[in-house]
Amino acid sequence: MKVNPVASNCFASNAKFLVTQEQVFARLTEKYSKERVLETDKNTEPVLWAKNPDDAKMLVKMLMLDESTRIDFLSDLTAYDNQDGEDGEGRFVLVYQLYSMTLHIRIRVKCLLGEHQQPPTITDIWPAANWLEREVYDMYGITFANHPNLRRIMMDERFSGFPLRKEYPIKQREPFVDNIDFHLGANPLSVENTIIEGTPEDERGASPEGK
Amino acid sequence: MSAAQARRANSMDFNALDEKDEHRLSDFYNPNILINLGPHHPAMHGTLRVMCRINGETIEDATCEIGYLHRGIEKLGEDKTYYQWMVYTDRLNYCSALNNNIAYAMAVENIMNISPTERCQYIRVICMELSRIIDHIVCVAANALDIGAMTVFFLLVHWREQAYTMIESMCGMRLTTTYARIGGMSYDLPDNFTERLWKFCEEMPAAIDEVEQLLNSNRIWIDRTKNVGVIDKELALKYAVTGVCLRAAGIDHDLRRDRPYYMYPELDFDVVVGENGDVYDRYLIRMEEMRQSIKILKQCNKKIPNGPLWVSDKRVQIPEKMEVYTKMEVLIHHFKIFMEGINVPKGEAFTCVEGPNGEVGFYIVSRGGPKAWRMRVKSPSFMNFQAFEKTVVGGKIPDAIAHLGSINIIAGELDR
Repeated sequence: MKVNPVASNCFASNAKFLVTQEQVFARLTEKYSKERVLETDKNTEPVLWAKNPDDAKMLVKMLMLDESTRIDFLSDLTAYDNQDGEDGEGRFVLVYQLYSMTLHIRIRVKCLLGEHQQPPTITDIWPAANWLEREVYDMYGITFANHPNLRRIMMDERFSGFPLRKEYPIKQREPFVDNIDFHLGANPLSVENTIIEGTPEDERGASPEGK
Repeated sequence: MSAAQARRANSMDFNALDEKDEHRLSDFYNPNILINLGPHHPAMHGTLRVMCRINGETIEDATCEIGYLHRGIEKLGEDKTYYQWMVYTDRLNYCSALNNNIAYAMAVENIMNISPTERCQYIRVICMELSRIIDHIVCVAANALDIGAMTVFFLLVHWREQAYTMIESMCGMRLTTTYARIGGMSYDLPDNFTERLWKFCEEMPAAIDEVEQLLNSNRIWIDRTKNVGVIDKELALKYAVTGVCLRAAGIDHDLRRDRPYYMYPELDFDVVVGENGDVYDRYLIRMEEMRQSIKILKQCNKKIPNGPLWVSDKRVQIPEKMEVYTKMEVLIHHFKIFMEGINVPKGEAFTCVEGPNGEVGFYIVSRGGPKAWRMRVKSPSFMNFQAFEKTVVGGKIPDAIAHLGSINIIAGELDR
């Protein structure tokens, strides 16, 4: 546990929320920091490392019920690649940015994820997490268990690979074949239907091998 | 057979199948017709696609598809140095580029433990309020234009041009400004800026009054906007809606007051709160927020002190051009800052400001060095558009257009 004593930043030093933030930090130290890592970031906001993804969801629920933190708002949900292992064992770090509308404080809950580990969805707590989790899936390939509609959101459905992973080259090009399996209503055509035998390869657009 | 012919043959097959289906699209009384709003339509304000299942004129189900303007800005943030990435922040919400510039500079400064000088803070507040006025003008004017009130557009856009001209005098650009720098601003205010800002603040409210006289009690406007596109309190919190849409729902929350940054604690302004969360309330809030912004601008204009613009921190301070040309060490320093980038220490911060649309945040994870490890942009439009998907259901198609205009979705920050 480390605390940044100096915080020279954009906030006025006498702002009311900074006092609340200290109280919340004390509360977190007292109640939540056993077996978990509690630290502050450069804005002196508390960062709480959950033990595992399930623990992260439980923490979110506990922080919502706690009278002295009163978390009620999901500011952001994201992830980042931990390829170099700087933050510990685990390929990704999942980040929940929580906010309290009444106390005006932020708490960040983070947890490490293995490459194939499936964190539970928090769409049942905040439906706002729906698109955010889809974006995390789209960019990192992290699948959320029990997510209602987990599919790509920014990238095309035909896209392969996860662009925000560190190993994904920034100038990677991915040509799509021209044949989209078009469908109408509830009866989608099967893929075999749209590709007619004998069609020359080049007429269908560039193949993924770049031919 | 070519691919196109094959497809045609296939679709003909499909029509043949459909003949038996009683819910054909040509069936006039079909209660399940799918229509696409967008992706390319002038009323969609960018490339957004909303697929609606309609019954008559009523939207019974809707789903949104985004990503048409995805440029991988977050990936670029990991590849460019902190200075190089500044220009990409302009392209997030291009209606209020200044706001994003400053929010980003603020985020980097917070990681580096830098507090800008007082003059710089006042200039930044002026910039953010000017861009808020511009963004609100664009939103209200375009929303009114969609609904059919063209006069409003002409009345307001004149003042947007005036504001842009003022911004042009500050930094030389109109739309994509790149005005902020880490630790300061690229230029100081021009000589006659105070008088021009004063003139703007004196004359602009007349246009707001005129528009309010035209619209506030206008029968057509009220019919088109009242109880349309309601985002209520509970839904707003659940769907993490921020900004004007949240305040219109009756939640008294503004980061400028609740988590004050820069000079906002010194300034006197009101947070405008609505109660119904419909298009009409959002319109009223935007109009009143413009007045509050003018009030802030006037105070800043009076209070802005003389003094240094840049922090005296060698890590970020860009040397004077004259010294660069005459002194060897300064030249090397200048070269290092721009070719190598500034060295941001290890650490992370999530810094948000109250943007015109809502909470604009930058979550930067730094592992040391001139490039960020993770550059996350938290954009308000993303969350607001998700709520739109739910709240558009039950309304009519023209209501959807009015609703979309009033939540001010900017595709640049939606797709990033």
